[in-house]
Amino acid sequence: MQAGTSTTHEAHDAHDHIHPPPEGFVRKYVFSLDHKVIGFQYFFTGLLIMFIAGSFAELVRLQLTDPNGAIMSHTAYNEMFSMHGTAMVWLVLIPLVTGALGNFVMPLQIGARDVAFPWLNMASFWILPVAALILFSSMLWGGPHAGWTEYPPISLADGTAGALWCLAIFTIGISSTMTGLNFMVTIMKMRAPGMTWTRMPLFIWATFATALMNMVATVALSVAVGALFLEHVFSVPFFDPARGGSVVLYQHMFWFYSHPAVYIFIIPAFGVVSEVLPTFARKPIFGYKMIAFSSMAISILAFTVWMHHMFPSGIAPWLQLPFMILTYAIGIPTGIKIFSWMATIWGGRIHFTSSMLYALGFLITFTFGGLSGIFLASVPVDLHMHGTVFVVGHFHYVVAGGAVMGFLAAVPYWYPKATGRMLNERLAQLGFWLFFIGLNGTFLPMHWLGLEGMPRRTATYAGFAKAFPDAVFWNQFETAFSFLMAAAIGLLAFNVIWSLRHGTLAGINPWGARTLEWTISSPPPYYNFKKIPQVFDRPYNFDQPLPYRNTDNELDEFPEFGRVLMPIPQPVGAGA
Amino acid sequence: MFQSPSVVRFKGLGPGFWPVTIVLALLSIANAWYFLYGNIDWIMPGASQPVADRASDIDGLFKFMAVSSGAIMIFVAGYVIYFAIAFRARPTDSPDTIGVQIHDSPKLELWWTVLPALLLILLTALSINVWYKIYFGTKAPALTMEVIGHQFYFEFRYPGLKTSVFSKTEPMHLPVGVPVRLLITSTDVIHQFWVPEIRLKSAGVPGLVQSLNFTPLRTGTYDIACAEFCGADHSLMRGKLVIEPVATFNKWLDSENKTAAAGGGAINLAGGSAGTGKTLFAQKCAACHNNPPTPFDQKLVGPGLLHITDDPAHPTLVTGKTPTPEHIAEILQNGFTGPIGTMPNRQANGLSDKDIANAVAYLTSLK
Amino acid sequence: MAAAAAQHLSGHDAIAARYRDVDPVYGETRDIRLLGFVFFLLSDCILFSSFIFAYVYLRISAPAWPPFLGGHQLPWFDTSFAAMNSIVLFGSGVTMHFALENWKHLNKAKFNGWLIATIVLGIGFLLGQAHEYSVVGISWTGTTMGASFFTLTGMHGFHVFAGVCYLTILGLQANRGTYTGSKYFGLTAGTLYWHFVDVIWVFLFFLFYIW
Repeated sequence: MQAGTSTTHEAHDAHDHIHPPPEGFVRKYVFSLDHKVIGFQYFFTGLLIMFIAGSFAELVRLQLTDPNGAIMSHTAYNEMFSMHGTAMVWLVLIPLVTGALGNFVMPLQIGARDVAFPWLNMASFWILPVAALILFSSMLWGGPHAGWTEYPPISLADGTAGALWCLAIFTIGISSTMTGLNFMVTIMKMRAPGMTWTRMPLFIWATFATALMNMVATVALSVAVGALFLEHVFSVPFFDPARGGSVVLYQHMFWFYSHPAVYIFIIPAFGVVSEVLPTFARKPIFGYKMIAFSSMAISILAFTVWMHHMFPSGIAPWLQLPFMILTYAIGIPTGIKIFSWMATIWGGRIHFTSSMLYALGFLITFTFGGLSGIFLASVPVDLHMHGTVFVVGHFHYVVAGGAVMGFLAAVPYWYPKATGRMLNERLAQLGFWLFFIGLNGTFLPMHWLGLEGMPRRTATYAGFAKAFPDAVFWNQFETAFSFLMAAAIGLLAFNVIWSLRHGTLAGINPWGARTLEWTISSPPPYYNFKKIPQVFDRPYNFDQPLPYRNTDNELDEFPEFGRVLMPIPQPVGAGA
Repeated sequence: MFQSPSVVRFKGLGPGFWPVTIVLALLSIANAWYFLYGNIDWIMPGASQPVADRASDIDGLFKFMAVSSGAIMIFVAGYVIYFAIAFRARPTDSPDTIGVQIHDSPKLELWWTVLPALLLILLTALSINVWYKIYFGTKAPALTMEVIGHQFYFEFRYPGLKTSVFSKTEPMHLPVGVPVRLLITSTDVIHQFWVPEIRLKSAGVPGLVQSLNFTPLRTGTYDIACAEFCGADHSLMRGKLVIEPVATFNKWLDSENKTAAAGGGAINLAGGSAGTGKTLFAQKCAACHNNPPTPFDQKLVGPGLLHITDDPAHPTLVTGKTPTPEHIAEILQNGFTGPIGTMPNRQANGLSDKDIANAVAYLTSLK
Repeated sequence: MAAAAAQHLSGHDAIAARYRDVDPVYGETRDIRLLGFVFFLLSDCILFSSFIFAYVYLRISAPAWPPFLGGHQLPWFDTSFAAMNSIVLFGSGVTMHFALENWKHLNKAKFNGWLIATIVLGIGFLLGQAHEYSVVGISWTGTTMGASFFTLTGMHGFHVFAGVCYLTILGLQANRGTYTGSKYFGLTAGTLYWHFVDVIWVFLFFLFYIW
């Protein structure tokens, strides 16, 4: 804490004082306090685990090419989908969208030199690989088998592996809470002078709403898995009906976190889209206040809807109604966002960069996922759809078609700022089409398969395929398309590494974007801003000069500021 | 220095806006037509001829949602694609061309807040209507039976039937046209009883009884599936439901009873030993009933059994019958499911005829 | 930033104003750390409330409370002993308040006295809890009552134990000259934490001993 606070201390010092640079490999790249380096660490760790968890998903899909199970035993299949879900939710999505994007972009966009507590930030990151090791080591004991939700009593049969699962999730929960706390304080206290709440970029609003949920909800998750851990290891009867415990209690505690968790993935993606669309449509974001307000509304409503995951699972009928109504209420701010983004691209001058393609694709796939959520929110219809592959299709449209698409839009967008070089545009666009087509091909047929009666989490479906022979075709179809998505992610990883050396030089502001990070060199120096800038307007007015004073450089040295240009290669760090 | 950029110009709402809108509207109408009048049995099996009364209610709700959200999807996707094409940057643009600088439109934003809100309020009203029918619509079920989940089969208990029906070997039977109530629970982990054609499902939760109410409307054989992950062979936990005319159903019930009588027979309660019964109680019953036995209201999972024969506050058994040894033996044989909870039958508890006689002797000896 | 922040000063924030007069940079750092610490306490509060939710849920859905174990209803807790132990804990909150006030008024000897009193009372509370555990007559694993009671009070006891260690370290730091009359954020944080532990106990005491 001491060294951490001294850093923030200097970050907020008079504008001329910058602390000395970190020295040595370990200080610079391993136990770095620099939010940008920590962002990279999150990015590469998340991407690596994404490969592992993604290959689990491909094994799951391969198994389902045959109604009797093509490649593995039921037990192995159950382990695969459990590990896929667990790793993707806690070790891939949350680290990527809050850890990587939030860490790299947020301090730059608010004009700060670092986050509020750099030491805490470093500790948050280093918990992640530890939690990953604990989680994957559970596979040595047979792995978890009860899905990513690990409902007792079935999860209690997992023994040591189940206990390790709880430990891993508990640990990663602590990391999320600390990140949330850190980001809340950073955004509330460390914005550049003049950056009032209504002048913040929308990505900052999104990060703020996410940090709030991270800070509050994740603790509830820690309690749920902590209690499950106590039951595993010490046989404490929270969830054991024979000793007066309740299995439904776990579901309440779990979903109180895990519903906000969905918004923890998706709201940063909202933020990314709110940055990418105006930049490439050359138009101010439409309805700034409504988008900012709806992010906050969603993050607060997120705490009031958890029981919609449990309609048939043992809650009183009268309890279902308020949760159905509150879930519908979330549809309103979400709708406001979608319509505002549509209005943002209307009348613009749209440049089809790969970021923009992902953002446009996001609008379509996320809307689809949101609308299928409206079906599930209705109690009667949910009594039919609950526990089917329709639900799987729905949340993959939201998570892969929402959160991951948003993340994939962010990678080419901020890659030049992070590395100083452009991501190869042709490969990135190819990646978009692979991902978009693969996503729809994989998850769309799940909707009608689920309605026909295919339950989720089934290692075989011979009984179902007897009644509905088309199920075999559609499952094979899904598996084939899922490999397109895998290819897209592989291509992205290749592109990210290849472009480090071979990408075109980016210059300060290749996209003609208008937030603060585009006023400093690419990649930014370790202290970010030589002088802390002053802000006097929102960043999205394309017909105005940039609304910043006291930036590193005089504005007129860079004629592209305040105007809009397609990428023009420039020498790295020109003039910085 | 800063130069004003050139702002793009176009007429009205953009080139071809209204024709595109008309095409999207036509597509929405076609979508609505398909869901309302087309044959959607391939998406919702049995939609054209509802298998149960609640199925037609739920299908009505589903169709309303498919029509309205289908229209929203068509317009959002259509406009996104249209805007992207109509307002694309042209190679002839000067590098500083920008879009029209509109920041907001309170009127438009009010509309797209209020209209979806109204749609959602309507949807809530329709959902509550169906919800009420599902949970409170069946006033007096003619058949109340129990569905108990096990790893990995369902057990069905019919009133008056001495043995259970197991989904592994036999289909579940229901009479057509008769309101039924299924009481659903589980003895090990969480299961979910689901018949896709009936559209209803409910979790079998250990320690909790939930009910499903509906009236089967169409005869036939349908699949039963477990919809909550319940262990290694969850995917094999399936069964068949036969919905048949009342006469056939009653005949089936009779034949089941005969088979049961041939196999089991009435239990001879004479000669039961209360001492052996006490040991048995500690082994087999104490998991759910307090041991030593307590008064009725001091429950563990099941009620206390201390004054089972002479409790003035509870003159009858949970089955509503007088507390004679024969009626107590009946509960031990058949098990019990009701608002108070679920007790497994003799097969699940592994009770022999002799065991039952001993347990009854012990229970009736308690004063 | 310093100047901008200073403009937002309001009347009730007089102590912070004093820091800023002495050292504006310290003032801002203190704000950031204070907010972070308050958020830490908030998330800690959710830790307790989640377990309290579990306890209330289990208790409301139980057929009888205290529950039965092996045919016998479990005993109620001994309220009078717990009430005395609570007074010990709340007393330590009062002594901590005086310790901080004396530090603000530069009276180091009295500060030390009050701080030691706080630590002694904290240890006294822990000993009382240990006694309570030894006589309470229920087990952690037997029933939901034991599970909730030992988990919640155990977590609280751990917080008190951590607080005793924390206050000891703060006392050593204070005597080594880490804090001055105008810069003593560590002591403020320690006091906040100690009061937080007291407030949690108010709820636990009500839920286990009064309800």
